[in-house]
Amino acid sequence: MRTAKMAKLWAVIAAGSVAVAACSSSASPSAASPAGSAAASAQASASAPAEKVTINFPYLWGGPEGQALEKVITAFNTSQDHITVKGVSSPDFQKQLASMSGSNGFDISDNFGSTVGSWASKGILEPLDDYMKADNFDTADFVPTALQSNQYQGKTYALPIAVHTLLLMYNKKMFSDAGIAAPPTTMSDLQADIAKLTKADSSGKITQLGMRSPDYITLAYAFGGKWYDDQGNPTPDDPGNLAALHFWVDNVVKKYGADPIKKFESGYGEYASAQNPFYTGKVAMTLDGEWQPVFIKQYAPNLDWGVVAIPYPANQATLAGATQLTSSMFFIPKNAPHKQEAWTFLKYLTGKDAMTQFSHALGNLPARTSLLGDPTYNDIPQFNTWLDSLKSPNLRIFASLPSTAAYQKDLGDEFQLIANLQDTPEVGMAKVKAKAAGYSQ
Amino acid sequence: MHRSVLRGLLFASPWIVGFVIFQLIPIVASAYFSLTNFNLFQDPQFVGLRNYQRLAGDDLFWKSLLNTLYLTVIGVPVSLTAALAAALALSMRVRGQWLFRLFVFLPTVVPVVAATYIWRWLLNGQYGYVNEGLGALGVGQPLWLEDPFWTKPALILMGLWVTGSAMVVFLAALQDVPEVYYEAAVIDGAGAWAKFRHVTLPLISPVILFETIIASIFTLQYFTQAFLLGQTRLNSASGGPENSLLVYGLYLFQQAFINLNMGYASAMAWVLLFVALAGTWVLLRVSRDRVFYAGD
Repeated sequence: MRTAKMAKLWAVIAAGSVAVAACSSSASPSAASPAGSAAASAQASASAPAEKVTINFPYLWGGPEGQALEKVITAFNTSQDHITVKGVSSPDFQKQLASMSGSNGFDISDNFGSTVGSWASKGILEPLDDYMKADNFDTADFVPTALQSNQYQGKTYALPIAVHTLLLMYNKKMFSDAGIAAPPTTMSDLQADIAKLTKADSSGKITQLGMRSPDYITLAYAFGGKWYDDQGNPTPDDPGNLAALHFWVDNVVKKYGADPIKKFESGYGEYASAQNPFYTGKVAMTLDGEWQPVFIKQYAPNLDWGVVAIPYPANQATLAGATQLTSSMFFIPKNAPHKQEAWTFLKYLTGKDAMTQFSHALGNLPARTSLLGDPTYNDIPQFNTWLDSLKSPNLRIFASLPSTAAYQKDLGDEFQLIANLQDTPEVGMAKVKAKAAGYSQ
Repeated sequence: MHRSVLRGLLFASPWIVGFVIFQLIPIVASAYFSLTNFNLFQDPQFVGLRNYQRLAGDDLFWKSLLNTLYLTVIGVPVSLTAALAAALALSMRVRGQWLFRLFVFLPTVVPVVAATYIWRWLLNGQYGYVNEGLGALGVGQPLWLEDPFWTKPALILMGLWVTGSAMVVFLAALQDVPEVYYEAAVIDGAGAWAKFRHVTLPLISPVILFETIIASIFTLQYFTQAFLLGQTRLNSASGGPENSLLVYGLYLFQQAFINLNMGYASAMAWVLLFVALAGTWVLLRVSRDRVFYAGD
């Protein structure tokens, strides 16, 4: 009697563990080719048209940007009778990664183009080439550098929805108060303007800074620098990079002091708020992106501002218009349960209509060349300057390779040391170069 | 006999199953992963002891270890001294004693993330109340969160706010000291300091040792506050100014979830285990002649 009960109990436990084993065996990545699984799911949907497929779409955006995306999702859902997209704002990179390492993840999500190299090399992303070929999907309309940043070793792993460039924004009132007639066009102008617009009291305490500390990677492009050579080897000690770092260190940090600058920066408010130091007039210039007109409308509607291309070194006019391009993209992970349906949605998202609607709501640059002159964007103040920046022959991207994340982190650490005068640009970049030798390709 | 052992195991099985699945297997797996190149997504490749060799030449590994040891070697004694001082003050018999005890314990109940964000405001170099107070006193106003020299003292300062749990344990230990010892000491002419030094301290020394070991092990795993103070934007696991907030746990996190070097991170976890073991062994060894057990 007792033993019978116990046997039953063990049987239940054993059944439980079998169930666990069953779950984990389905976890092993399916060996089916993308085309094969695509065909299979297409077939499945054809044979049962009544049944709707729900695909999960967690996205990193939140707030007003998330709401804009929800509108696109709703429009897609009403246009569809066999796919329902369930969107949810989930601004957590680690959660995104964790879901992709499990057996059953989401179907589609977003990130920056700079992650493509690392993720593709680890087999996280579903290559899109077979889907694109099957549907005769034309990629010629995408901004070439944007598409390129979503490719790795000849395959396309993601498609861009929007692109971003940094330009030089300036406070018109502060310029006229300082008696400066026009925004800078060369680095010598910029240097002079920073000096005129920086104020310190008698004790050396800074009360106004001519320019916010720039993104050094972008500033280096303006000095003709490069961060990778054509073979994909990191080149942190490129002369242009060193020139950019010296420009900042010599004209700002050494002049006003690393500690006073740090103290001044500790009083900066949050970036996405009315306390952004550019909005409050603590800094007169900043390198910032095309989303700023929409931000300013929301946070600082009375700000009198202008925007110009990043200045070029006085003797190198060929470098005019140089800046960095980054892209926001959508991808399908390898472990997505509904890849074919996700592709259908991805196609819709990066199509002209959805892209216009979404990028306009966010005030982001569209990733399609044919939309660059679209009148929809006319109501965004000074957006043309950013649209024009995409036509520059000096548009640069930071290569998306397996080493990108580690390289950018090492650079970020070293930029801090250089800006605090702990290392000279030469010493600092030599240190990064030594570290870069250990990156796995 | 045979049957009773089986039955015992059966009754213990909820724990055994949980232990095996959630602890034993992960521990064994991390030991194996520490010998591999593993990025979470592709099959691990066995590389022998190479991860451990690479650690030895990794300057950020040493930096993170030193940052954590700083917090342990300086922060733990400072916060335990504060907890003991609070316990001594709160064991004085005064009116409204319970109220004072409540006030000292209260911050310990505040969730750590909320508390850290409050301190981010308090410690702001230009507008924070801490520096406002220091300015009124006419002493320096350090840039707590921007100056690499001051970021770890800032963490220790924050820790002083939440010494409630250690304080409660000390309070209980103080009440266990028999009153007769104090009476005898007073008859021998002992003052307040002598009573504390020769009666209180020896009698609560086992509790101090225990608290030191527990606090040290916890501090070696320090993560949350450093992660939150170093944060420059949502989700960034930054090491703070010049990596001065890069504690061991934070670097391990960076390696595992940003660089996707799970094998390397596993090796770091094992090194931390041995550091904790060695530290505990040293503490027990050093304290052997200094801790007094009433039962001996």
